[in-house]
Amino acid sequence: MSKNNGNAEKYVSEFPQPAKKKTFSEILYDPNEGTFLGRTPKSWGQLITFYTIFYIVLTIMFTICMQVMLSTINEHHPKWKLDESLIGTNPGMGLRPLSEQTERGSVIRFNKNKPKEAAYWTELLDDFLKDYNHTEGRQMKHCDPSQVHNPDDVCVVDIAKFGPCSSANSYGYRTGTPCVFLKLNKIFDWVPEVYDTVDGSTPAELRDVLTSTKVEERKQIWVTCNGHYGKDKEQFNNITYYPSQGFPAYYYPYQNQPGYLSPVVAVQIVSPPDHEMLEVECRAWAKNIIYSGSLLDRRGSVTFQLIVD
Amino acid sequence: MALGSDYEHGRADSYRVATVIATDDDNRTADGRYKSRRKMPAKAVNKKENLDDLKQELDIDFHKISPEELYQRFQTHPENGLSHAKAKENLERDGPNALTPPKQTPEWVKFCKNLFGGFAMLLWIGAILCFVAYSIQATTSEEPADDNLYLGIVLSAVVIVTGIFSYYQESKSSKIMESFKNMVPQFATVIREGEKLTLRAEDLVLGDVVEVKFGDRIPADIRIIEARTFKVDNSSLTGESEPQSRGAEFTHENPLETKNLAFFSTNAVEGTAKGVVISCGDHTVMGRIAGLASGLDTGETPIAKEIHHFIHLITGVAVFLGVTFFVIAFILGYHWLDAVIFLIGIIVANVPEGLLATVTVCLTLTAKRMASKNCLVKNLEAVETLGSTSTICSDKTGTLTQNRMTVAHMWFDNQIIEADTTEDQSGVQYDRTSPGFKALSRIATLCNRAEFKGGQDGVPILKKEVSGDASEAALLKCMELALGDVMNIRKRNKKIAEVPFNSTNKYQVSIHEVEDANDPRFLLVMKGAPERILERCSTIFINGKEKVLDEEMKEAFNNAYMELGGLGERVLGFCDFMLPSDKYPTGFKFNTDDINFPIDNLRFVGLMSMIDPPRAAVPDAVAKCRSAGIKVIMVTGDHPITAKAIAKSVGIISEGNETIEDIAQRLNIPISEVNPREAKAAVVHGAELRDVSSDQLDEILRYHTEIVFARTSPQQKLIIVEGCQRMGAIVAVTGDGVNDSPALKKADIGVAMGIAGSDVSKQAADMILLDDNFASIVTGVEEGRLIFDNLKKSIAYTLTSNIPEISPFLAFILCDIPLPLGTVTILCIDLGTDMVPAISLAYEHAEADIMKRPPRDPFNDKLVNSRLISMAYGQIGMIQAAAGFFVYFVIMAENGFLPMKLFGIRKMWDSKAVNDLTDSYGQEWTYRDRKTLEYTCHTAFFISIVVVQWADLIICKTRRNSIFHQGMRNWALNFGLVFETVLAAFLSYCPGMDKGLRMYPLKLVWWFPAIPFMLAIFVYDETRRFYLRRNPGGWLEQETYY
Repeated sequence: MSKNNGNAEKYVSEFPQPAKKKTFSEILYDPNEGTFLGRTPKSWGQLITFYTIFYIVLTIMFTICMQVMLSTINEHHPKWKLDESLIGTNPGMGLRPLSEQTERGSVIRFNKNKPKEAAYWTELLDDFLKDYNHTEGRQMKHCDPSQVHNPDDVCVVDIAKFGPCSSANSYGYRTGTPCVFLKLNKIFDWVPEVYDTVDGSTPAELRDVLTSTKVEERKQIWVTCNGHYGKDKEQFNNITYYPSQGFPAYYYPYQNQPGYLSPVVAVQIVSPPDHEMLEVECRAWAKNIIYSGSLLDRRGSVTFQLIVD
Repeated sequence: MALGSDYEHGRADSYRVATVIATDDDNRTADGRYKSRRKMPAKAVNKKENLDDLKQELDIDFHKISPEELYQRFQTHPENGLSHAKAKENLERDGPNALTPPKQTPEWVKFCKNLFGGFAMLLWIGAILCFVAYSIQATTSEEPADDNLYLGIVLSAVVIVTGIFSYYQESKSSKIMESFKNMVPQFATVIREGEKLTLRAEDLVLGDVVEVKFGDRIPADIRIIEARTFKVDNSSLTGESEPQSRGAEFTHENPLETKNLAFFSTNAVEGTAKGVVISCGDHTVMGRIAGLASGLDTGETPIAKEIHHFIHLITGVAVFLGVTFFVIAFILGYHWLDAVIFLIGIIVANVPEGLLATVTVCLTLTAKRMASKNCLVKNLEAVETLGSTSTICSDKTGTLTQNRMTVAHMWFDNQIIEADTTEDQSGVQYDRTSPGFKALSRIATLCNRAEFKGGQDGVPILKKEVSGDASEAALLKCMELALGDVMNIRKRNKKIAEVPFNSTNKYQVSIHEVEDANDPRFLLVMKGAPERILERCSTIFINGKEKVLDEEMKEAFNNAYMELGGLGERVLGFCDFMLPSDKYPTGFKFNTDDINFPIDNLRFVGLMSMIDPPRAAVPDAVAKCRSAGIKVIMVTGDHPITAKAIAKSVGIISEGNETIEDIAQRLNIPISEVNPREAKAAVVHGAELRDVSSDQLDEILRYHTEIVFARTSPQQKLIIVEGCQRMGAIVAVTGDGVNDSPALKKADIGVAMGIAGSDVSKQAADMILLDDNFASIVTGVEEGRLIFDNLKKSIAYTLTSNIPEISPFLAFILCDIPLPLGTVTILCIDLGTDMVPAISLAYEHAEADIMKRPPRDPFNDKLVNSRLISMAYGQIGMIQAAAGFFVYFVIMAENGFLPMKLFGIRKMWDSKAVNDLTDSYGQEWTYRDRKTLEYTCHTAFFISIVVVQWADLIICKTRRNSIFHQGMRNWALNFGLVFETVLAAFLSYCPGMDKGLRMYPLKLVWWFPAIPFMLAIFVYDETRRFYLRRNPGGWLEQETYY
């Protein structure tokens, strides 16, 4: 064809062409272009510098924001309390001993004849009660239901009153009559409305305990424990509460007082079934504690499983 | 193989050429890679075998045998046709006379592709892991948390819903096509048992005797047994644009050349004929070509490549992060089930669940917009292909031109007058009172058999349909415009006798009574090939006077003829003669067979030249293409001179650019001495093209920026397309004929013509121009480029929120803090609040003139590139994550958990047995209360992502300009801002959400912590873009301009 009379000059295509495929070693280091992982050291340097500066500035900004936020927060009392806070006004209950291995849940299982297994739980309890034992340097006061209560006061929790649930008695674990310690969750500024009279509105579960308690000692958040399901209920008998079947109201409100200790109720299960799981549910009673026993939405109560081998 | 052989067959062997090209198709792209990842060579071989049947030479003898043998063979009769029984039998044997539609992917396969393609697989893995985790929990624990079951169900639902959505979108766009296909049912007149029946064309069988008349579409391949001035338009089959006459006689060995065959789906333009059906449906010539075209594999569209690239990138990141943290979780001593749950979280956070649906919607919106601008897109992905197109091979007739012969020039009184060729008659006007024009117009009016078809009263003259030959129609319209009611004029000048045009005479004569009742003379008018007309004249009519036709006048005539011919126009000469009344008195019997009147020594009046003028919008569109870096190549079957003239007038050959021939003429040297490098333009003749090797073709395509291929057969288009593709171009091809369909398939985007296009070409194409107008392609290019830019923005916007989604999980694992953002909330972002804003970016208008930059580089300019990832993940995403964590810490601290308290608390936090977790103020939280706190944090984290996404959306509106320059006029986007905010508020505050989605109402103040970060994003990016504009090509642009 006439239009073809040799082309000496190299033609640069007007259309983009695919880049040459690089081998793996060329991707790591290309000696021709002097690139490591596709970039020259200079280019890497620039990029890293850019991002370093970027993130330093971002960190500074984040820190300033955090500082501003923290400056609005009081050290002693939370910003939002009771209903304003998500913690709400409905305290739950805690129990000890509780395994530190969270996947064991709230199962308390031991062989009363194997001291080592019992020791696992007693050590946990010792640990829990350490604060209650060493009250040196705390401004505490022996409170009494008859006294007028000052909100700043911190009342003593007397562990001597736990009877057989004492460290010396290894909390009953060696003898197969384990004690479980219950406590009510602390909620800042929360004040209980106790059941202290026996009338038509008094829940049936509380009638016995109320009538057996002196009138002046009735200002308590009552605690009852029972078997959770039908079978548990049958096997559930013979339990005792120390020092009393409730948390005296004079411990409340909690206001993050220095040295404040939660009141504790020790529950001794005197005759647990052998080799069988006993599921126990304990609940706290006050007019302003809502109870829900549902599995996914538990309120105002706590459950644990006890297996004594 | 196709080149350089069988030239004597002319274009009629197009079918063979078309098939042969396909043999060379080895399913590889220009650079030697397989065109499609899915199709491996082994499979291609199988396919080839299937195609072999179709590639058999067209070997039939129906045209050679005698009619009697023909009737014998089909057991039919020329007068009575088939018997009903025989017809029924044949129909049952051969099936209906219709083209089998190209094999469709079965619907369930399409559905499954949507259900398991893209990110769906990753989400399925996540869902399965959820179910596995749940079933293990269910078997090992008495009260399993239903979180995993719930999440598994949600994930499956997400995949299924998005799958159904994409499937619905796809099928909706393919429905458009179907409606298009079945617009006109075809009917045929058939003789069976001596009765004339009108049947649907599908019901025709072999041996049927059919009658066709002008205007019909030939219903099957037929052997003609009777014909009256029968002409067919074979252009869609052979590319021959002139109608060809057909008759009963066998004239050529080649079935496509012989006169006694007419082919399925070609059009009868004149006369009537009767014929016997010799092949039906897929066995027709047309059917075989259609089958061949549908066998060609087209490979992935550029946007599909981009989306795959992007899916691989994101999946890679997800798998890498997932596996890394799975291993880290093991090393940190997590339970393996926890590690699996982390893996699920990371997968969910990493996959932009809503993004593919967003892309589909964006493409659909663009497809709709294009459809309203006369570009109907068959395949959603093709929407973008035009945007990346770097070469357009365009037809001339009908696409660049109006497909309407129009009188362009007249020569009378020794001067050339320009006629108005514009579509709306806005061009120049000329003097219509001179005697020269009057004489010329009288001949043009009277010596003309064209007539307007009835029932077109409201239609503008130029748009009216005319029965008759294209040149005569042009004259008719021109005269109708100049003189008014032509039919009335003809009535007043009654036609007495007529000799129609034939190829030996090359003239047409008619004799008329004269309008003036007092004048008893007859008027003889003649038109025809100018040199033949001039031969028959002795005088010439100039300025109202009859002069002797001397050498000087002949010279003038020749100059005018040359000039008009040089413009690529078809020139006709006109002459007349008043027959003397003494020799030819009233009532004289004119004999047209044995001519008894003078046809010599006539009076020459003038010339008229016609051209199919370019469409008004085309020069502009071509200029736009040029500025957009798109090479426009004209491929036409027309004559080189005409092609060149049109190319010049529309700007395909720009002013001042010369072809080799022009240079040779200017320098007065032989063509062979011209350096081809000097010529930027080239006009390549189809005959030349047959002789060149592919290397030579490459050179032509390379060294000439402006190319016109003239006299090419439609299948040479395929060679040209392949040549362009070899050079790395993304090629758009327009075509209307059946034989164009291989080229349309082969092209990256085939564009069929909605009006003139054959069904087969529409089937092979990816896009249909409803108005056949080249300018519509440019709109398509513009829309395609815009959607590519906007998809980038949309993806950048969507990907950004991935970082604030992933980082909570990483912090959860590495810092042992309560989870700041849950999987359900992540889904609420990806499928809820982010969707509408991301889609609204499709409505964003272009930042700068997108038609002033070159087409995108398909190898380097990726939809999602490292710069986009760097911006979205490394920069904006990080600021967003900071905002989220800040909100998280604020809520935790204000409720009692100061930041330092949170680190390492995770195990206790997530344990159901721990019912008294102590916070920084000694308060003890039950499991339930702290989960409420955690979910409130999730909600707040979610809200803060929405807040920072406001800024992200606004910065994603532009990639270079300032938002103050771009403005906030995108109302869809403004709506998106409001929508995401309202949705977020709804999810947070609607009662019941705490149960359903675990979203909790937030205090109003918890909306605010994210605001400084929102402002930071806005300020940072405005600043970045400011420097980007200040330092074009600078480091910042190289690293952050996506």
